[in-house]
Amino acid sequence: MQAIEYFEVECTEKAGGENYKQIANDVLLDHNMLRVVHKIHIYIDPKVPIFVAVGTLKKVTTIVKVGDIANVNPLEGKITLAISDETYLSQMLKVFWDRFGKDHVEQPDRFTVVLYNVPATAAEIEEIKIADPSQSLYKDLVYALRCICPEGFRVRSEDFGAEKFSFVASEDLLTEPVLALVKEKFALMGETP
Amino acid sequence: MILVPITYKGGVYRHNEIIDLIEDLGGYIVQKHMIAQEVVLQCFVPKDDVELIRAIGKPLAGEVTDSPLVGTEIAVVSMSLEIHHLPHPSCDIAEYVRRLGAKSNMIGMARGVGKRIAGINDEERDVINEHDIAVFLLGNFETCIEKKMPVLLRGIEVPVVVCGGPDKEALERIVKPRVDGYVGNVGRFMHRTKESEELEKLDEIIDEITRVLSKRREEIAKDPLSVAPARLMDIIREKVPEIQYVTSPTPLTVQMAGLRVKLPYDTYADAVRKAEIEDGITIGEIADIEPSRMRDYIIVRVKPFSETNIVV
Repeated sequence: MQAIEYFEVECTEKAGGENYKQIANDVLLDHNMLRVVHKIHIYIDPKVPIFVAVGTLKKVTTIVKVGDIANVNPLEGKITLAISDETYLSQMLKVFWDRFGKDHVEQPDRFTVVLYNVPATAAEIEEIKIADPSQSLYKDLVYALRCICPEGFRVRSEDFGAEKFSFVASEDLLTEPVLALVKEKFALMGETP
Repeated sequence: MILVPITYKGGVYRHNEIIDLIEDLGGYIVQKHMIAQEVVLQCFVPKDDVELIRAIGKPLAGEVTDSPLVGTEIAVVSMSLEIHHLPHPSCDIAEYVRRLGAKSNMIGMARGVGKRIAGINDEERDVINEHDIAVFLLGNFETCIEKKMPVLLRGIEVPVVVCGGPDKEALERIVKPRVDGYVGNVGRFMHRTKESEELEKLDEIIDEITRVLSKRREEIAKDPLSVAPARLMDIIREKVPEIQYVTSPTPLTVQMAGLRVKLPYDTYADAVRKAEIEDGITIGEIADIEPSRMRDYIIVRVKPFSETNIVV
């Protein structure tokens, strides 16, 4: 798995900051965000209180195809798929049902899907696109940042572009200086918002 | 006769003999779990007879261990029931105290999170006060803990152990009003406790809970209860047979100075009140029978000897 190029947690309380670095690490790992986040800088000041997370994203262009998650084995009029990664199994079945009809698709057990008399070769099936992970990226990233952020900070402002994101949260109303703070934290990573 | 809390772990085969033995010796079985081929008994037994139970249990592959938390009901107070606090560390701690014999209940507060916005409502306060001890699981920031604790501790009458991210000295300095126990370096975290140092932290929490509870036990010993709650459990089981049909894991939850009866208060309070212990003395004479804030249960609070002049 690729590591994040820049990962800093800045906090006015030393011990709290260290704990939050661990939390951020766990959450990004659990939510499979390491493949997406390129740089991230988190700033927390519980006295204000404010939580700022700014960062840049990697380009996610990988489209998941049948060949990525299954071994396709043609045999006497049927094609057997041995599933190696279940994550996209339901999307894959949906694509097959739409394309070939439910009569031609069978799943005898958890890790096997069999296609009967389908008008496609094994190579063609391997190339069928089943999911685009970048579509749910925004939702996933915001959810992960909400998990990292202290729970009481419920007033949030999220800004998310193709390459950069910023997430600001507080218990109180967010005022103008927040924008300057976001800019300042981006500058620490050598980026502009 | 001094009763000590122990846990007996052994095979299902002939375990009835152990149950009979404990009852014959004058002990009480607080909880019985049957897990596949294993049986776990959490019980109070006479101090002098622990070795006897150990000897008789040995050929049955039985193991006797001290469980200082048997017969206590612990409130594990989480600041909320969101992903931020669950399942780690709240569930890890609640489960760990359960392993040592305590009955732990997790209380997720409606508005326990944050600094300025943190608060406690009357229901939460009353539910916490129905336990023997409350373990507050706080976050990582001193500033937040310092600001919110005076609010969260408002009206809490039971002993409190505070767990938080800052170290123990910092917690002792910032938590006001003072509480009974502090465990530092256990704040919010998002992974399972499986490293040895994390397990040591859990042990530290148990030690702190045990220390606070022993102090409370000493206080109770100075003015003993009119009846042992474990004995009351046996009496209710006998006199109010409907308790046998309750499907809850612990239909009768023994506490240090009382008992939670998981039957509806309106229907069964009188039956519990009128149940005779011995020589015409009823439970109503030596204990307060009150409606619990937890569902519609009954809470029995045993009065001390100084109030009733009765010991049965």
